[in-house]
Amino acid sequence: MLKCRHAVDKADALVDGTPLSRRERLALRFHLLICHHCRRYLRQLRALLGSLPRQEDALDDARTQAILDKLDPPQSH
Amino acid sequence: MPTAPPDSPDFVERLRQGDRAAFGELVKTHHNMLLATARTLLSPADAEEAVQDAWIAAHRAIARFEGRSQLRTWLTRIVINQARMMLRRGGREIQFDPTDEQDALAHRFRADGHWQQAPRQWELAGPDALLTREELRRCMEKTLGRMPDNQRLVLELRDLQGMEFDDICNMLDVSASNVRVLLHRARARLFELVDHFQETGEC
Repeated sequence: MLKCRHAVDKADALVDGTPLSRRERLALRFHLLICHHCRRYLRQLRALLGSLPRQEDALDDARTQAILDKLDPPQSH
Repeated sequence: MPTAPPDSPDFVERLRQGDRAAFGELVKTHHNMLLATARTLLSPADAEEAVQDAWIAAHRAIARFEGRSQLRTWLTRIVINQARMMLRRGGREIQFDPTDEQDALAHRFRADGHWQQAPRQWELAGPDALLTREELRRCMEKTLGRMPDNQRLVLELRDLQGMEFDDICNMLDVSASNVRVLLHRARARLFELVDHFQETGEC
């Protein structure tokens, strides 16, 4: 029988879509079916990871230019 | 998941030809993400310097970019190498071998492997939803700041930037199992933090 401790370790594989062996997958699915604590853990872990602040903003034009200004000058041919 | 920038063959070719506008586009799209990566290892000022130096290095090397990886992965690798070089200059080195420490949730299990102290039910909707609360956000930043830098870096690359495991392993030259252990520990710390916060309203 899979213990909660191991279900929590294996929960990462579900979150990440990492392939588990058939045996591992069945054991984990079965455990989650009967253990609401671990179901809650998995659900809340997903919610937590989904709400982490992501840095996706584009850089503004002025700062982009400042970076370009420090690059090597274009080679003259 | 962050949207991948256009890695079209056309765009890559313009970059390789030294097209200034294309390089500007590259900087604009990736700079803030690269800065976030550098900040997991360096102080804010050093991170700025590392990313600027990385742009100079990328600009010199772009003509030889072969397109075997995404531009984003290629740039991140340059930034991480730059950051590691700066760390080495300060006599520091980032280790990726996990230590023997237990994860932050270990104390919540009984010896027989069952929960001793199960996760509480979090408020996931409404005005108190996760991370919409300023205090929790600050708390989270504090926890991230105290996390070992190897865990913080892996969390940033995987859970904040959505990179593929293979790319992370190649980039850091670390085995997949080590990346998974570090990531698990980082996630356990965050889970423990939020669970504690949901219970006490405090960090």
